[in-house]
Amino acid sequence: MPLNFVTYGKPPISVREKKISRFLLFFEDVVKVPVFGCQHCGECILSSTAFICSQRCPKRIRNGPCGGTGAGGSCEVYPERKCVWYRIYYRSKMLNRLSLMYKVHKIHNWNLEGTSAWLNVFMKRIDAPIWFVRGDKQKVKEILSDDAQRKN
Amino acid sequence: MTLKEKIESGMFIVCGEIGPPKSCDGDVIREKSKYFKGVVDAVNITDNQTAVVRLSSIASAKILLEEGVEPIMQMTCRDRNRIAIQSDLLGAAALGIHNVLCLTGDYQKFGDQPEAKGVFDLDSIQLIAATAQMNSGFLLSEQEMKKAPDFLIGAAANPFAEPLEMRLIRLHKKIKAGARFIQTQPVFDMDIFACWMEKAVEMGLHEKCAILAGVMPVKSVKALHHMKKEVPGVKINDVYIDRLEHASDPKEEGIKIAVEMIKTLQSIKGVRGIHIMPVMWESITPVIVKEAGLSTI
Repeated sequence: MPLNFVTYGKPPISVREKKISRFLLFFEDVVKVPVFGCQHCGECILSSTAFICSQRCPKRIRNGPCGGTGAGGSCEVYPERKCVWYRIYYRSKMLNRLSLMYKVHKIHNWNLEGTSAWLNVFMKRIDAPIWFVRGDKQKVKEILSDDAQRKN
Repeated sequence: MTLKEKIESGMFIVCGEIGPPKSCDGDVIREKSKYFKGVVDAVNITDNQTAVVRLSSIASAKILLEEGVEPIMQMTCRDRNRIAIQSDLLGAAALGIHNVLCLTGDYQKFGDQPEAKGVFDLDSIQLIAATAQMNSGFLLSEQEMKKAPDFLIGAAANPFAEPLEMRLIRLHKKIKAGARFIQTQPVFDMDIFACWMEKAVEMGLHEKCAILAGVMPVKSVKALHHMKKEVPGVKINDVYIDRLEHASDPKEEGIKIAVEMIKTLQSIKGVRGIHIMPVMWESITPVIVKEAGLSTI
């Protein structure tokens, strides 16, 4: 069986939906661009990344930082900037959302680029945002022990 | 025995590394392969490292196979989208290359052609997952293949970037996605590495994959200074810079440091092997392997 975290893409976007998407995107931009630095990937994972847009990374990495983070968490490509994932880690820790960093994010569906993520959630194309995380430390422990059990 | 069997049997692994030439001269690789034959378990073939154009890693890996050395082909996401990655992986499997190291890739800005378009369609964790899916017989399109490849999937880890916990989360994700062995960045600070390894052992990660510690023998202080300034994500303890600076023969001292490091690394719990990666100094690998008493084959 194919692994569920690799593929993506259904259902296809109709022309009518594209029009609705463009309309919704206006309102989405008003909130997301100034507040989170949204890059319009259409496949929003803000809730798993402590509400910092991971797509601001020059490599657009959706899973954790690359190996080049410098001293003090500087970006390897633009040393004057802080690594986006470095900021995500510290804010996740502050907001008690570290368990969400263990999630493996799916490969980006480029058809969704520039569409409204809100509509995509509504159409069940992408996962719904996770607003509240209860018992974060316990969840991290479970994630780690789950794997240990599976191994045995 | 193949690398996969060796890792499964729990043997101590020794890997080398070859950087392909900046020309179409395959004899360079044939020449270099002589240093490794019968010395190490497998040899990494870099994929346009630091974003500089070189002979392709698949072709180089095939040349190594012909020479009787087991290759570990590096595969980066900088230059290929998902279609090219799958096609290249299938091609590699057809040629008999069964070890692949999945990397995100150095940003093109650091190379000889900074104007290039970086692809980064997948990241390294997604590449690992995609390769694992292909191993199970399915392409990313969920189409079933008539014949599935059988890759041993590797990944890289950087124990030296801050913060430590985030690095371990990423290592955990890589293993969860399907990585079976991990090669670390070159160790130049034993304390930080030991601390990282201790945490990894605490999380039980060393049991789920083979962690190979990176060792980079250096010829001169200049190389170390260059690495400290230019190469992102590398931390160098000043002790080594001091030692090389005051040595009468820096090359000899470089070998000595590497051998000492290997011996210390062997004693750290959870280290399953060593990855020796001299930059443009491949001929030194057999010397170091011999002096450290690693020759197992």
